[in-house]
Amino acid sequence: MIVDPSVAMHLSDAAVSVELQSGDMTLNIGPQHPSTHGVLRLVAKVDGERVSDVQPVIGYMHRGYEKLSEVRTYPQITALVNRIDWVSGFANEVPFMVAAERLLGVEAPERATYIRLILTEMARVSSHLIFLSSYPLELGAATPLMHALRERERILDLIESVTGGRFHPNFNRIGGVKPAAGAGATTKKASQDLPQGFLDETRAAVENVLSVCDDMVNLVAGNEIFIARTKGVGIIPAEVAKSFGVSGPNLRASGVAFDLRKHEDYLPYDRFEFDVPVGENGDCLDRYTVRLEETRQACHIISQAVDTIPSGPLQAKVPRIIKVPKGETYVRAENPKGEMGYYIVSEGGRGPYRLKIRTASFSNISLLAWILEGALVPDIIAVLGSLDFVLGDVDR
Amino acid sequence: MAVIEQFKTPKPLSWLLNWSRKYSLWMFQFGLACCAIEMMAASGPRYDFMRFGIIPLPASPRQADLMIVAGTVTDKMSPAIKRLYDQMPDPKYVISMGSCSNCGGPYWDSYSVTKGIDQIIPVDVYVPGCPPRPEALMDGIVLLQKQIENEDIHEKWGERDRQPV
Amino acid sequence: MTDSPSEPNEEQEAPEGEEPTPIGKDRSELAASVAQLVGAIAHTSDFSLAKVKVDAAKWAETITAARDSGLDFFSFLSAIDWSKEVAVGDPVDDVDSLQERYEVLCALGTTEDDRYVVFSADVSKQGAAIGSLVDVFSGADWHEREAHEMFGIDFQGHPNLIKLYLPDAFEGYPLRKSYPLLSREVKPWPGKVDVEDMPSTENPEAGDAAQPAEEAE
Repeated sequence: MIVDPSVAMHLSDAAVSVELQSGDMTLNIGPQHPSTHGVLRLVAKVDGERVSDVQPVIGYMHRGYEKLSEVRTYPQITALVNRIDWVSGFANEVPFMVAAERLLGVEAPERATYIRLILTEMARVSSHLIFLSSYPLELGAATPLMHALRERERILDLIESVTGGRFHPNFNRIGGVKPAAGAGATTKKASQDLPQGFLDETRAAVENVLSVCDDMVNLVAGNEIFIARTKGVGIIPAEVAKSFGVSGPNLRASGVAFDLRKHEDYLPYDRFEFDVPVGENGDCLDRYTVRLEETRQACHIISQAVDTIPSGPLQAKVPRIIKVPKGETYVRAENPKGEMGYYIVSEGGRGPYRLKIRTASFSNISLLAWILEGALVPDIIAVLGSLDFVLGDVDR
Repeated sequence: MAVIEQFKTPKPLSWLLNWSRKYSLWMFQFGLACCAIEMMAASGPRYDFMRFGIIPLPASPRQADLMIVAGTVTDKMSPAIKRLYDQMPDPKYVISMGSCSNCGGPYWDSYSVTKGIDQIIPVDVYVPGCPPRPEALMDGIVLLQKQIENEDIHEKWGERDRQPV
Repeated sequence: MTDSPSEPNEEQEAPEGEEPTPIGKDRSELAASVAQLVGAIAHTSDFSLAKVKVDAAKWAETITAARDSGLDFFSFLSAIDWSKEVAVGDPVDDVDSLQERYEVLCALGTTEDDRYVVFSADVSKQGAAIGSLVDVFSGADWHEREAHEMFGIDFQGHPNLIKLYLPDAFEGYPLRKSYPLLSREVKPWPGKVDVEDMPSTENPEAGDAAQPAEEAE
């Protein structure tokens, strides 16, 4: 029997659409992921390829930082705090130290603030290199991982030559920074300092990172498949971003030109020239290009800082056992993931009475339920990767 | 393979099986926290553990025989870890990487952290450090390989229902 | 507020003889203007933190007014447990004059300049409840869930006040001062034990705040 094609299509359409009226399927993504994000669980109700509802379940990495810091002294907390955002270790310590110093009334000497700034920008480069390598990996490109990790190893070597640790440096002290590791002097009153050759090697490493950024543009950013998967996907309007508290490159990709390095004074950023990249649409591609550009700007800052670093002491005079006087303060910093802040309530003891840690990724992923409604299943992966969060930052 | 239970394996055969197993460990990607970044760096271009035969990195536990638990284990995550361990087929090995999964680490007094993964699953090699350098992890893998080399298949077969310490 | 932070001219001076100005931005004008706008009970701006204390009964209206005046970036929402008896850590400085309460904090900023204000409201410990801010800021959803499971404060009007971080079988409210850390009770930290000092790595000028093992309780 010859069937008229148009009638056949009609019939098949009817059959399919009747089938599609069935209920949703619950798809459980996680907590074990083949990606670097960690233990996040998404309970997604999918209807074919369309997601109708996503509920993120977090807490698989909750270690209880705020309770632990009530029984620890300030130096002990410094050792713990750089494990919150474990990809950029040094950047987590700085706002905590600045807050404690503010309550004490102590200012770190200039050289120490420059060293902190250089290491923070290196941490930013290191964190963005992880993003630039793992985001294409999730979308299917495996080569940028090797390129970026190669350069990241050089940056980590530099951080390690100064601080002794690759990404949990524990290098800040109240009043400044620790006299550098590997400097070797054992006599008393010696001014221990940055290791020899650090400044030249930093300049060389910065050149390499800039060339990797160009590689990324050639390999990834112009690739049709990459653009098709990220352009127009996961758009976050600026108003929604501000209402949820999204900060950092995610906020700037939505068109809001707000960078805490230009507004806050926790480190001497006002002495350096750098641009703040801002996106237009707020989709995944914008978030990628904003971070790529930020890596370049961070390299620019590092080379300026390395050229103008002053000499001087590394730590201000502080008593042997630190007791921070009574008071409350909040210091926020522009971490690679966004705004990170420490709210210290001190009652005059050796440790804080209450430490509230405001982390960037917690607010960044609180909008997952809003943004993924009506998205396709592969878009979940694209959006998750582009938000660039770290579970330690989310769960603390 | 009930053949193993009946006959004592001759030495050359046992050596051959051990050799083939130790140089083709399929590692289950289970990075939880900061140690996962070091594990990633260990698989990266500089400290390459693929030359020890640890490729591919299957995401499913059903195809893996080595699980490296890297990172802090919380009470909320432990049932999932136990389930994933049970899904792995025998013979399976576990390396505990970092001080958080060895003994609770810097969060030993937290209300939500399990004090060591060996409370839940049996561990073969402990790699200390916070985080352990990639070279330390590779040392741990080499140690595991030596352990496999000297293993008696008979005993390993009998151990397949072992419980944690 | 019962605890009075020290005035700027009573801060510890930097030992090099620098002028005794407080470090950080001066937010006193900001605190005063916002306090007047929302009709606050008190305000302080010590240590570069503009803190405005408001009435808990008008929590949602106050935050809405602040948002409409330009502070439209939601930073965080949390609480502080002021208690006389603490199970972990040290108690407050002057225990007798402490008023026991939960102090709920909501921090708002703006994306145009560096204005940043923390609003606080006191909630009593028995039947701790305050209005929810979910209709004002969408980001308050998760923050309120976290504050609820850590302190036990009820946020009225929140659609989904369930646990966020902790497993379902967890009992108790961890961040309350009355919640003990059981591992510490079983095995207290040893503190400074008699060990030999490291040879000549101490730099007495810089201050040995760097030795974490010695600073334990």
